[in-house]
Amino acid sequence: MNGQTISIEALRSQQPRYAGLTAGHRACLGCGQALAARLVTEAAGPDVIVANATGCLEIFTTPWPESAWRLPWLHSLFENTGAVAAGMEAALKAQGKSTKVLAFGGDGGTFDIGFQALSGMLERGHEVLYVCYDNEAYMNTGIQRSSSTPHAAATTTSPAGRARMGKRHLKKDILAIIAAHHIPYAATASVAYPADVRKKVRRALAVPGPSFLLVHSPCPLGWGHDGALSIEVARLAVETGLFPLVEMERGSLVGVLPLRAPKPVRDYLALQGRFAHLFADDPRAREELAHLQALADANIERYGLRAGGAGLDTESADTVRRGGGQWA
Amino acid sequence: MGVKVTPGGFAAPGTAMGFRTGTWRIQRPEHVHGIAPCHHACLAGEDPQAWIASLAEGDVAGAWQRLIAANPLPASTGRVCPHPCETACNRGGYDAPLNVHGLERWLGDAALAAGWACPAPAIGRDVPAVAVVGAGPAGLSCAWQLLRRGIRPVLLEALNQAGGVPRTAIPPYRLPRAVLDGEIERLLATGIEFRPHQRLGRDFSLEELETDFAAVFLAVGTQKSRPYSVEGVVPRDLRFGLDLLRHWIAEGAVPVMDSVAIIGGGNTAVDVARILKRAGVREVHLITHERMPHAQVPDYERMRAAPDEIVQALEEGVLIHENRMVRRLILRGERVVGVEIVHARKLKEGERVRVQAFEGTESVLKVDQVIPAIGQVVNEEGLAQLLGQREFLRVEADGRVPGTSRIFAGGDCRPGLGTVAGAIFDGARAAAAIADLLGRHETRPQRGAVVGLDRLNLHYFDHAPRQEPPVLPVSERAGDREVQGGLDQQAAHAEALRCFSCGNCMACDNCFTLCPDNAVLKTRAPLTDGSHYVFDYDYCKGCGLCAHECPVGYIAMVEEE
Repeated sequence: MNGQTISIEALRSQQPRYAGLTAGHRACLGCGQALAARLVTEAAGPDVIVANATGCLEIFTTPWPESAWRLPWLHSLFENTGAVAAGMEAALKAQGKSTKVLAFGGDGGTFDIGFQALSGMLERGHEVLYVCYDNEAYMNTGIQRSSSTPHAAATTTSPAGRARMGKRHLKKDILAIIAAHHIPYAATASVAYPADVRKKVRRALAVPGPSFLLVHSPCPLGWGHDGALSIEVARLAVETGLFPLVEMERGSLVGVLPLRAPKPVRDYLALQGRFAHLFADDPRAREELAHLQALADANIERYGLRAGGAGLDTESADTVRRGGGQWA
Repeated sequence: MGVKVTPGGFAAPGTAMGFRTGTWRIQRPEHVHGIAPCHHACLAGEDPQAWIASLAEGDVAGAWQRLIAANPLPASTGRVCPHPCETACNRGGYDAPLNVHGLERWLGDAALAAGWACPAPAIGRDVPAVAVVGAGPAGLSCAWQLLRRGIRPVLLEALNQAGGVPRTAIPPYRLPRAVLDGEIERLLATGIEFRPHQRLGRDFSLEELETDFAAVFLAVGTQKSRPYSVEGVVPRDLRFGLDLLRHWIAEGAVPVMDSVAIIGGGNTAVDVARILKRAGVREVHLITHERMPHAQVPDYERMRAAPDEIVQALEEGVLIHENRMVRRLILRGERVVGVEIVHARKLKEGERVRVQAFEGTESVLKVDQVIPAIGQVVNEEGLAQLLGQREFLRVEADGRVPGTSRIFAGGDCRPGLGTVAGAIFDGARAAAAIADLLGRHETRPQRGAVVGLDRLNLHYFDHAPRQEPPVLPVSERAGDREVQGGLDQQAAHAEALRCFSCGNCMACDNCFTLCPDNAVLKTRAPLTDGSHYVFDYDYCKGCGLCAHECPVGYIAMVEEE
């Protein structure tokens, strides 16, 4: 207002937040994972070190010889991220440093390929925050189904057609498996609720011992929706009860994001190409729609997501205020 | 891109910045300043969204400054305006519209209580003077807007006090005189030259004004009641509604009858009905061919009186006969003993609206007096050459009287008006045209499209109840006691926070927080476009996520050239 002009470079250097992941990365338009990684590093940084499994995040942030990371970052392998992070933590501890160790993986590297390394890391009690960016398939290699892919979703290896209505199997309940490790803190989060993501990252880093965060991250390419709708889709996953936002300490449920009026799963599914076959005039499609609704209802019941009467949706975690600050 | 390969085989931090992902873009986000529906609907030309934004930030003085830039009488209009802003408010499609008039009144009252002065530049005697005839809302507004532009206004008024209709014809239970006096005194204290007891056609003529002043603004109002008769029959002791109203306001008393029928559906009719009730008339009937305001009633059928006033009149025992008209006066000698009324509807045929009465629906209402409140026309005294055969002064789009070069008009003396807020707008419009005429051109902001509910992302707003001020119980409504209460400070702040900020950046950080590409940068001070954010087009891939998630519809995606 005082008539000063500032170059965009200078403005970029004066941003009121820590940028662990800079612009210039090669993620697709509207990438949920790019946003999720940005939010996690903003909340965790700057004194962190990251071990990153193979996957989209690793590929789009580090096309040799460039890097979009502004923090110490190491590409581990698909299968050993938990072990590499555990090694980092042990080394830092031996050096008497307080640097926090983060491990990043996609759902393929977490639910499937890197699972034993993760389990070992949790079991040995390494003080690492393992963040799984859950986009529900192997998106980096061409949208193959993972054990995280939801039931009835179409992928290149679980196509919808005459034989079946997308993926036959259910999404693996990773949280129950994590809970069985009896670790101090585990939670789910969604990019549609940035304040919630940040809060959970801080909580996870504040507790001694291993912690785990599952961040629901839409993939416009793999899910078949417009990049502009990434947040809308992620939000609907939560609002329908298909992706409940919960917190667990030592394996017991300590908090949920309440839903005052859960939305029908149709609202969520109809926006995505991977569920398009469920809207065909086909008795199997109707059955699968009802099945997915039942899965959502079961989640709502199991985690007690329904807020009592006058309670606000999401406890105002996502309402805006003039002047910002609500996302801090 | 000049990226160095490091000897250790690692990439230097942040080197991806050398890769401009903005080249992928086929559409770009842009800030578009939309018009809030309240702004579009405001009769006075206020931008309520703008001053409510200041209120929400806790800047009461700043909010008032923004408010009086358009309307110097907010405590008054906050009380008497029919507030179409609230009918238009997007929040009405979500839970309940914002209490805009309550906020306007609260802000106006806060300014009076704090004794804030209207900020105006000092004007030298050598500056050309403009004559403003009539010190009602239109005249006061015009004088104020001229003064703000450094033009010297001379305000001529036939009565001994400024105020116009709000002083002479709005009952004090709606507009306490202390409030009106406070706002007018504050305005006249800015250096507006006020000359009372100056009547056009008696103390000066239009020709004299044209000779002595650089321009003339006529805000003479309407002084003559429209002639009334039913099929040529006029009762001997006919009293017009507005005369009764003026009498009651000036004298505090009216002749008391047993039962009366008031004809008309405007504010005057309702005001007369309510003062007659206060004066002790047992039965007050209000007969109108229009309908009481209701969501399902189309605009052209609606009573023109403010909806709140109609509700309060009903509470006070006024009997409203909607969709009726008077077919015949029942006289005994020359005295009215009753009226024959008949069902009637306003029917729309294309653009034309006509009133149709229906045979076989007649009934008789026994009354002692018929009081027409069917409108007023301009008194031609001193204006004969401009009026011709007409009842009102015609004006062009900028307020100029056709066929003249330096004469402007506004307020009730032009056709189609009848609100204080509309008069305030007319005054401001004429002042802007006069400033242009005197060579003080100003660039007026371009108005964008009105932002509807579909442009907002409602997900980001919590439901919140509308703050309602207290209303005096019917048993305590008497004399001049103000019926409608005001909001308290806490309620006013809560109400300001309910604003959706339609089409105007509220600096909520949504775009800044949600951009996957780190391509939205935040600035410390607000930018000239009203936002706090800059799109970094070097890296924006054009996904449109920011536009979709903008709660207020401030971001639009446009095709890349």
